[in-house]
Amino acid sequence: MSFDLHKPTTISEAVGLATQLAPRARYIAGGTDLIIQINRKKVSPDHLIDLGQLPGLVGITETADGYWLGALTNYRSIELHPAFQGNLSGLIEAARVVGGHQVRNVATVGGNIVNASPAADFVPALLVLDADLEIAGPAGNRTMALREFVLGPGKTTLGPEEIVTSIRFARLPDRSATAFLKEGRRKAMEISVVCVAACLTLDASGSRCLSARLAIGAAAPTSIRPKQAEAYLIHEPPGRASFTEAGRLAAEASAPISDVRALAEYRRHLVAVMVERALTICHRRIAEERR
Amino acid sequence: MSRTNLDILINGERHQILIEPHWTLLHVLRNVVGMMGTKENCLEAECGVCTVLLDGKSVNSCILLAAQAAGRSVTTIEGIGNPEHLHPLQAAFIECGAVQCGYCIPGMILTAKSFLDENPGRRPSREEIREAIAGTLCRCTGYRKIVDAVALAAERMSIEGADS
Repeated sequence: MSFDLHKPTTISEAVGLATQLAPRARYIAGGTDLIIQINRKKVSPDHLIDLGQLPGLVGITETADGYWLGALTNYRSIELHPAFQGNLSGLIEAARVVGGHQVRNVATVGGNIVNASPAADFVPALLVLDADLEIAGPAGNRTMALREFVLGPGKTTLGPEEIVTSIRFARLPDRSATAFLKEGRRKAMEISVVCVAACLTLDASGSRCLSARLAIGAAAPTSIRPKQAEAYLIHEPPGRASFTEAGRLAAEASAPISDVRALAEYRRHLVAVMVERALTICHRRIAEERR
Repeated sequence: MSRTNLDILINGERHQILIEPHWTLLHVLRNVVGMMGTKENCLEAECGVCTVLLDGKSVNSCILLAAQAAGRSVTTIEGIGNPEHLHPLQAAFIECGAVQCGYCIPGMILTAKSFLDENPGRRPSREEIREAIAGTLCRCTGYRKIVDAVALAAERMSIEGADS
């Protein structure tokens, strides 16, 4: 491999460099995926533009209505952040299955999103929070829902000069919980066979679902939100029967492939089982919090 | 592709090195500085033998560009202790017989050090230790004694209250 490395110190300088050097330039954040892809000769940019010196892209901040996550925040920081230990624990559960500690100390949440792997673990955890992305580019800044951002494997709406700068999501209402589950062929250092995130909100009596959001990774060309399963759960009593039916509907909505890791049939089966389990965990967490 | 100057602290000592932009930190440590304690194997961040500390945090030096470490502090296995003054982790690995072929041990010790330093004084469970070292593979599969050694070091470091 061989390339020139640029180290801009402002976002506008970075965007300017990318505009000038397109299409032979790539941004680099943590580089934990990009350097491997370059080593494998899957990509061979002539220029890398390092985002590491740009100010204001790292950190986790509580805002008036929710949370702000800098796009260059690494996974270990997310995993250890006290603000996510309550009803946002699904974020911690997703962050802690990304690579080993050495990768999590470097790999960035923005990089994982922009990479647009169908098996990205953290994306489903953010999708159930209805997260928005803030994007900087030559035409200024724009905001876009994460669920509209990823178009297919490796494909997003991001222009070659644009940079995802942060992720925002709203605080959850009372009686809410999140959960994230991953199945691989081994316990750690694994690409998901299927991963599932859930976010459940119950009414004051705890006997009806007010909101249910589900996201599934590695079971379609992008992470998906199974809308029928989510709609079905609204006003249903939370419990085994409704969670199982939601799992069945989610499996119907998935479009998995057979590959070296698993058969499509097995992935679809996993979706049903894991959705039911993720909802059960959310339900239990809400009950425990109320106690 | 032009060479650029890399200004970097390695084990507390300042180095100024001419690098090519695509050189990894692993390449610089082994092939330029000549420190062979950091091992080279998979080159894809799967095995962890190349682990070093960057500003105290464990990273895979095989996929980190040396230029990404500019102006920062790198600690390798050569930098945490010596035969006269072993780091508590090194002493515990010897006492527990946690070393078989030895190839993974520099990375294993630095992975454990980064983890233990996140919460000084805390004694993690065996399960937490196993999760912490998941990114560092021992192909002799001597994990049990490695976990014993990390637990022993954590216990001693929590009593001493200071990381030597």
